[in-house]
Amino acid sequence: MELLNQISENLQNGFDEKVAALTKEAVEKQIQPEEILNNGLVAGMNIIGRKFKNHEIFLPDVLLAARAMNCAMEVLKPLLIKEGIPIRGKVVIGSVKDDLHDIGKNLVAILLEGAGFEIIDLGNDVPADKFIRVAREENADVIGMSALLTTTMPVMKKVVDLVKDEGLYGKIKIIVGGAPVSKEYALEIGADAYSFDGANAVETVESFFPKRGS
Amino acid sequence: MRSIVDFASEDVSLDRAAILRSQGVPDEAELSENFEKIYIKATELFRELAESKGIIAGITTSRFEEVFRGEGLNEKRNPVEEIYRNSSYLALFAVTLGPVLSSRVTELFNAGDYAPGYMLDSVSSYAADKLAYLAAEHLEAELAGGEAPAVSCRVLSYSPGYCGWHISGQKKLFEALYPEEIGITLNESCLMTPIKSVSGVLIAGPGEIHEFVNSYPFCNTCAARSCIERMRSL
Repeated sequence: MELLNQISENLQNGFDEKVAALTKEAVEKQIQPEEILNNGLVAGMNIIGRKFKNHEIFLPDVLLAARAMNCAMEVLKPLLIKEGIPIRGKVVIGSVKDDLHDIGKNLVAILLEGAGFEIIDLGNDVPADKFIRVAREENADVIGMSALLTTTMPVMKKVVDLVKDEGLYGKIKIIVGGAPVSKEYALEIGADAYSFDGANAVETVESFFPKRGS
Repeated sequence: MRSIVDFASEDVSLDRAAILRSQGVPDEAELSENFEKIYIKATELFRELAESKGIIAGITTSRFEEVFRGEGLNEKRNPVEEIYRNSSYLALFAVTLGPVLSSRVTELFNAGDYAPGYMLDSVSSYAADKLAYLAAEHLEAELAGGEAPAVSCRVLSYSPGYCGWHISGQKKLFEALYPEEIGITLNESCLMTPIKSVSGVLIAGPGEIHEFVNSYPFCNTCAARSCIERMRSL
């Protein structure tokens, strides 16, 4: 459909206001919100993801597209909720206790949101028990943790241990990342996955859920 | 010797290719118009908002040994120990771009301006590292007594968290240097605020003392790998 293609193309170019306006237009033309989401917005983000992976575009371009996606979601979200259309998945994310670095965590949150996930961003300096408490309250599917210091990495293990203690291990997936974190460390502490960058985090979290969009 | 240095933001030369490489952008990449605009805006913001300062304080080898030992968590074999023992002069240092830049990055992200926020953060990270180089140049010039630095005297910076010097070494370093005087503080997990700050030791001596083979066990997991470029610059 032409309008959905326009949404996808403008999103890929990072034209946030245009994408929001076209999304409103699509709603007014009675196109189903789920169709706008999947065949306009998510379709555009999927192309962005592919281009980024192939080094045809770079992170700032992806972030512009993500902003456009978020502007459109402000229009669509109330309608999706109203129609009871399930979100793709809910992710609780944060930088662990005593770690004040949040750029990497922010990028992952933005890219996941752009890929259609609901994000509960706890910010930085997040205590281990808060990850669990919020994940439980929000019925989250994934906990994402970031650490940029070797001194704060042990908090990740604490969270995994708490998830096990609460009987949520396997029900809530745990993904970790950050400069000093490695795949080996993730395995060692019992996390479900490790991601080396934002795009990889999106791919990894997507692998936990059924695929959506073209 | 203990001095506080104000660096003009023009002193911090921004190497566009290096900044973009840090974002994973290859030198030959074709960039979108949006990308170019965001980069230019970020460099303008940097020039406007950076409040670059540094503190440099000479330290004896025996006193530095104590600082370097830190909490006793350093790697058993590490290049820094071998380098400082062959030095002719040592100075602790800390440099910062000030709090305003970091706040602006946060504001941009909070406002949903992710791409400009990310770019400004990227430019600032590069500039903070560059400030450490400027501190080394400053010491080199001071040691040369205002004349051109002797070819045999090269100053390079080394920081806790790198090259086998455990990040917890920050605690002893802060006790000895007191960078709080220029507004840099340390939290329990050894993280500096403002975030765009660098601290460590400036090691002066003949260029060859800084050369080492980067085959220590921790070199495999090092994300920075800047030692190669640093050694090349000698």
